[in-house]
Amino acid sequence: MTSAAVLDARELECALPVVSVPAPRRQDESRAEVRAGARVGARVDVRADHERNLRLRGMVDTHIDFVARVLRNSGTPHAEIDDEVQRTFIVAARRLDDIRPGAEKSFLFRIAFNLAAHARRTAARRREVAADQAPEQVERFATPEALTDQKRMRELLDGVLDQMDESLRATFVLHEFEEMSTAEIAEVLGIPRGTVASRLRRARVEFRERVAALQGLAGYVDREGQG
Amino acid sequence: MKDPARLAQENVTALEQALLAAGRSYGSSASARNKTLAALGVAGSATLLAGTAQAVPLGTLAQTLTKMTWGKILAAVSLAGAAAAVPGYYAWQHHQAAKATAPIAVTARPAQAEAAAVPSPPAVVARAFDEQGANQPPFGPASGMRDRPVTEARAGSVPATLARELSTLDAARGMLARGDATGALARLDRYAHAYPHGRLALEAEVLRIDALDAAGRSDAARARAQAFLDHHPHSVLAARVRTRLGD
Repeated sequence: MTSAAVLDARELECALPVVSVPAPRRQDESRAEVRAGARVGARVDVRADHERNLRLRGMVDTHIDFVARVLRNSGTPHAEIDDEVQRTFIVAARRLDDIRPGAEKSFLFRIAFNLAAHARRTAARRREVAADQAPEQVERFATPEALTDQKRMRELLDGVLDQMDESLRATFVLHEFEEMSTAEIAEVLGIPRGTVASRLRRARVEFRERVAALQGLAGYVDREGQG
Repeated sequence: MKDPARLAQENVTALEQALLAAGRSYGSSASARNKTLAALGVAGSATLLAGTAQAVPLGTLAQTLTKMTWGKILAAVSLAGAAAAVPGYYAWQHHQAAKATAPIAVTARPAQAEAAAVPSPPAVVARAFDEQGANQPPFGPASGMRDRPVTEARAGSVPATLARELSTLDAARGMLARGDATGALARLDRYAHAYPHGRLALEAEVLRIDALDAAGRSDAARARAQAFLDHHPHSVLAARVRTRLGD
């Protein structure tokens, strides 16, 4: 775990321009050589560019589903996922030299979780306004027939996860959806493994209590039984 | 310390199971991937060209190669010819990009493949783009290297012009990002003048569409975007252009 886990607001702002294409700044010098006609410099420059791009592209190919899922399960609205995925990788590109080979997934998680937390806080303000309408929504969604409806399940899940404390949510998401071990989660979050285990226990209790509350609220009958 | 089992594997209700499944099943979209690659500046480099080559019309070849063993690839190369196989191979190689270092050149003769020189990847990609043909009109004939043998693409043969093209487009992109659409357009004009057959012509065109839009010339941006999609519907940049058009 490193201090790189923490991205301040200024850094996130840097990632926001959609048009922005962050080229590796340290290559400016070799670009000057290219302009001066230094062919060796040109080769180094293009080669370095290419290797960097290969790494970036590899990161996208390997981790884009993970990033999208983390963003979504961490509270980013579906409509904003494409943009947030893009921003996550843009921030990672800016910090590429700081990302240890093999640590890409952890790094991307931390960026995505921070971006999602920002999106969630924005959305939370909207939800506060409409909070008294929530029970009706739940009643409409939490029916046995809706179990096969992924979109509705997704909305219900959002409602459950949104009530969780951020630290519990991160642990829950990584363990239940990303199927990481407690040791891996400890590494990603930079906390002791025992803390991961206790947070996971609490998160699970909260999850089950809230789902049970949904069922009770909607008069839901679990026809599958407590299987 | 023993790891706890996943909740989904425990004694949970059907609703809990369905909610957990909803959380696990979410994935990214093709548009997110294309937008991300374009925004990362992979679009501003040789890597984009590999993606473009993969898209049309060699995408099918690339997909086929992905599933083939080396022996079959070499056999296919001997049948299809190096001109088609090199970009196809490169697209395939790109799928394995995370671990990629320097790819091995595939020459026209399978027997020579293992002994072939290690090419500079951008050179190979540039050739892939050249030989693809389908991406050329109206934005980039890019035929300057066509008469050279494929095996010429090796370490150190990357033309300096490619680096200069990249620099020009990076400058234009930087201006656009800072809100200087007019300056970006001027830089793109300079690019078009200096490199009438530029190998990054597609990316330049997408940047121009963005810049025209940012400069308030949305009709012109729209017309060029439509023309781009007419000519390059399968380009990795097409999704980005479609976003512009609001499709």
